[in-house]
Amino acid sequence: MAPVLEITDLRTEIRLRTSTVHAVDGVSLTVQAGETVGLVGESGCGKTTIGLSAIRLLPPGGHITGGSIKINGTEIVGLPDARMRQIRGGDVGMIFQDPMTSLNPTMPIGEQIAETVRVHKRVSHRAAVDRAVEVLDLVGMPRPRERLGDFPHQLSGGLRQRVMIAMALACEPSVLIADEPTTAVDVTIQAQILGLLDRLKSELSTAMLLISHDMGVIAGRADRVAVMYAGRVVEQAETVEFFDHIRHPYAEALLASIPQPGQDSQRALYSIPGNPPDLSNPPAACRFAPRCRYATDRCRTEDPRLEQDAAAHGYACFHPVPADDVRPEAAGLRLAAQARLRETRRTDADDLILDARNLVKEYPITAGLLQRTIGSVKAVSDVSFGIRRGETFGLVGESGCGKTTIGRLLVGLERLTGGQIVFNGADISALATRSRPAHGGGPDDPAQAGSRRRQISRLRRDLQLMFQDPYSSLDPRMRVGTILREPLVIQGIGSRREQDQRVAAMLTEVGLQPAAADRYPHEFSGGQRQRIGLARALMLDPKFLIADEPVSALDVSIRSQILNLMRDLQDRHNLTYLIISHDLAVVRYMADRIGVVYLGKLVESGPADTVYSTPAHPYTAALISAIPSPDPHSERGRNRTQVRGELPSAVNPPSGCRFRTRCAIAEEICAEVEPPVHSFGVDHYASCHFPLQRPVPPAGTDGALVRTQQDPIADRPPASGRLVPDTTGDAVAGQ
Amino acid sequence: MTGFLIRRILQAIIVVIGVTIIAFILQNLIATGPALAHTIIGPRATSQQIHEFIATYGLNQPMPVQYWHFLWQLLHGNLGYSFKENQSVDAILGQQLPKDVVLVGSSLVLSLLIAIPLGIAQAVRRNRLVDHVGTGLSFLLYSMPTYWLSLLLIAAFSVSLQWLPAEAPQGTNVGQILADPAGLVLPIASLTLVNYALFSRYMRSSAIENLAQDYIRTARAKGLSERYLLARHLLRNSLIPVTTMVGLSLPGILTAGLVTEYVFNFPGIGLTFFNAAVTSDYPVELGIAVLVGLVTVAGNVLADIGYAVLDPRVRYE
Ligand SMILES: Nc1ncnc2c1ncn2[C@@H]1O[C@H](COP(=O)(O)OP(=O)(O)O)[C@@H](O)[C@H]1O
Ligand code: SF4
Ligand code: SF4
Ligand SMILES: [Mg+2]
Repeated sequence: MAPVLEITDLRTEIRLRTSTVHAVDGVSLTVQAGETVGLVGESGCGKTTIGLSAIRLLPPGGHITGGSIKINGTEIVGLPDARMRQIRGGDVGMIFQDPMTSLNPTMPIGEQIAETVRVHKRVSHRAAVDRAVEVLDLVGMPRPRERLGDFPHQLSGGLRQRVMIAMALACEPSVLIADEPTTAVDVTIQAQILGLLDRLKSELSTAMLLISHDMGVIAGRADRVAVMYAGRVVEQAETVEFFDHIRHPYAEALLASIPQPGQDSQRALYSIPGNPPDLSNPPAACRFAPRCRYATDRCRTEDPRLEQDAAAHGYACFHPVPADDVRPEAAGLRLAAQARLRETRRTDADDLILDARNLVKEYPITAGLLQRTIGSVKAVSDVSFGIRRGETFGLVGESGCGKTTIGRLLVGLERLTGGQIVFNGADISALATRSRPAHGGGPDDPAQAGSRRRQISRLRRDLQLMFQDPYSSLDPRMRVGTILREPLVIQGIGSRREQDQRVAAMLTEVGLQPAAADRYPHEFSGGQRQRIGLARALMLDPKFLIADEPVSALDVSIRSQILNLMRDLQDRHNLTYLIISHDLAVVRYMADRIGVVYLGKLVESGPADTVYSTPAHPYTAALISAIPSPDPHSERGRNRTQVRGELPSAVNPPSGCRFRTRCAIAEEICAEVEPPVHSFGVDHYASCHFPLQRPVPPAGTDGALVRTQQDPIADRPPASGRLVPDTTGDAVAGQ
Repeated sequence: MTGFLIRRILQAIIVVIGVTIIAFILQNLIATGPALAHTIIGPRATSQQIHEFIATYGLNQPMPVQYWHFLWQLLHGNLGYSFKENQSVDAILGQQLPKDVVLVGSSLVLSLLIAIPLGIAQAVRRNRLVDHVGTGLSFLLYSMPTYWLSLLLIAAFSVSLQWLPAEAPQGTNVGQILADPAGLVLPIASLTLVNYALFSRYMRSSAIENLAQDYIRTARAKGLSERYLLARHLLRNSLIPVTTMVGLSLPGILTAGLVTEYVFNFPGIGLTFFNAAVTSDYPVELGIAVLVGLVTVAGNVLADIGYAVLDPRVRYE
């Protein structure tokens, strides 16, 4: 059978003013009908450029300079524009990464789908609209006919991506190119979208090119895998064969640098040194050689070709990883074996460095002439947790659940609506709460209040926040040295010389040259900027560091460098961390204890491994099951307990249990009574009426989450048997 | 919606009060009482005449009282009585305004009709010949003072080529003005060029910004033709910022209109204002100040409405 999409020796360049980027340099790929080929690699390796070449929509300056691309046997390189337009949207459907920016904000979604049909099928307006309804229904849009007039901003992220898919499918293309289709959505929505794509591909027997940076997504969904590095395919094989017998050192290293479900969190992650090469001037040798552990002189002078072995497993390497390592984790284990073990930290349950008590944050919504308050966004609703000196506490949850707000409350960037924050034994909520005396009592004299303010601001020095986005959080007009010195200058610490010395020392400590102080942020890569961010947070020698999404803007191979660095610094400076992330795998690897947040509520907390292996709350369980793991065996055999629908609005959160609108085992009581906190062993708490394990009376006292509330149904048997697996893999979004 | 309207009406009131207070103070700094009466009636005015003039217009009262009186009348839609013309200010404005609507309105429409497609064309062919010519032209026009541009047009088309009259048609109503279309060409053309220079810059940069957006790439990936894509996807989105800008620059456009009127001797508000300023006809000046204030607010409202019509994400409460 001839492949539907056949790319042979494709070369694509992007000509810029001063240089030419060889974005794709001799790539061959084929995709058959009904097959999914996963294209995986770090950002900038050329994945998107391949997808855009296939529909000839390259960015300005982009040219296909060699090779061939055949779609259903038609050569599209050099095809006249008019013919090409028939292929775009007709033979090839394209799904882009960000559904928010990829849909026209001023055109109703029905029209955006129908116009594709009209252009390609010469049908009446009515027939085109009917087809739009049909495909919207196919992609699981509830009540599609009523939604035709909706604009993209009226839909949630998940629904928008469904519209995007519907649009791509409207003309029944034979090839679907999905470029990072789930990178912009939450993990529970990701599971829904990937399930949907999978189902559609087999129902319509479409050929699918699935582009992703996430090995886990590829492992679960692709029939064949192609790994890209620096504009080339470096390894290519059938999925199970690939993950079982990884041959290329880059693919091996990439896999080893992801925190995996079975990861021993005492071991440092493997991290690939350095950065990918500059594609405007690629070396005429193995492109991975400068970062490869196995590189020899031959690698540095000769260019390896993509070889096929007997199992049709191709790899471009002179010294491939031996094929007899059959276990999927083998790569990770072998590399990690060399990594240093870190010692277990001892923490004392009673020694809380930070105690967050009943935190509440509501943002008022105002309207009208007098800006009357008509409601509020309940961003954080009665969240309590304690963090022990020297430990790492992780907060996880989907975007919009209130994680970031909690972090900002703790450092005083937001004012508390209610609750109390005790840091190092002292109440620091005074600065965080509007017009409320710190220790009760009436208004005291200003001098005293002033001195307490100073005292609190001194305490706050020990509590630092590391910002999320390494690209926007560093002032582009300031030299790195100035950025780092700033906290010292503000606090008036040290002479200019001492400050400079501290800057140099700090830069060295985060793995940069002291000379970096004289350069500007834009001269650094994302990972280096995150190091600068870390250095800035540590300038005042804090005891406690809050890291909000410390690695989510970074590539996989850079991520592990930062995570390892954070752990080193923690050991060296006796730091306590609060790590906030949407990525449960990262949090589990880094944290001693985890708190799971859902719509402003802490639903479960406990030791990282316990929560991960035996979650008590249905939301935690669903979150864990939604994380794609880079192991095709477990990914495929998995019964996904999917979460239905999407995060409800925090303006009118559901009554009773806030998770009930998406919970597979919700019952009437869940809507009526807010679930009490149950204990499930040492330090392990969750609030659910029907937890997945039998509650046990609290053994130790955490003092944080536990309440002495008696729950009438606490003695009911565990409800795990009733978690109904969703085998279609495509739960329809509820409301 | 009602909240939005109330806000805008409040804004109109504040603007009008602000503008008139400033005008009032300035006028009183220039001349009041007998000095003013002398200016108006002439050097040979008798003290009897001066006395009557001051009494008629209440110029002997303290300034705040005069102002209060003015506001009170304004509230009843009465802008006062001209010092010089034997007419109420309302009547004068009522007569002149329609002619200005013709002049300013037609040049506004014309300039948008040229600037929008040209701006898009420049964006699509960025850094190519069309773009360079368009950019050069709009910079040239933009940097030229309005009166200078008008004079150049007169020099070229009336004096040298003798194709068109240098003077605008005269007449008291719109019908009389429209009866002589040849005379309208140069005033409208010069105002159109001035506005075009402004709008085409905005249109071009807005279109360039939108062309780089992901949704345009999506539209292309659907196989839409380039022309369809520009008309159905790019146009509306690029117009959003331009609409706002046009609404907000309405007072500026009006001012350019005033200058043009003077150069072409076009019998409209601009010429009236100029004459009133020369002859110290304070009530007429104030009336026109109120008018410009109201146009400013109206421009804001139009900008908001245009914005809400074009962009479904915007809703006013
Ligand atoms: N519009 C563009 N202008 C200049 N360079 C680009 C552009 N788009 C991509 N590139 C370059 O092409 C290479 C491949 O990029 P891309 O295909 O986007 O990779 P990926 O999708 O794997 O992240 C990178 O070096 C990137 O910097
Ligand atoms: S060819 Fe050499 S440098 Fe390249 S991946 Fe193989 S071993 Fe490493
Ligand atoms: S309380 Fe009810 S709705 Fe909430 S998680 Fe537990 S079972 Fe589900
Ligand atoms: Mg990409």
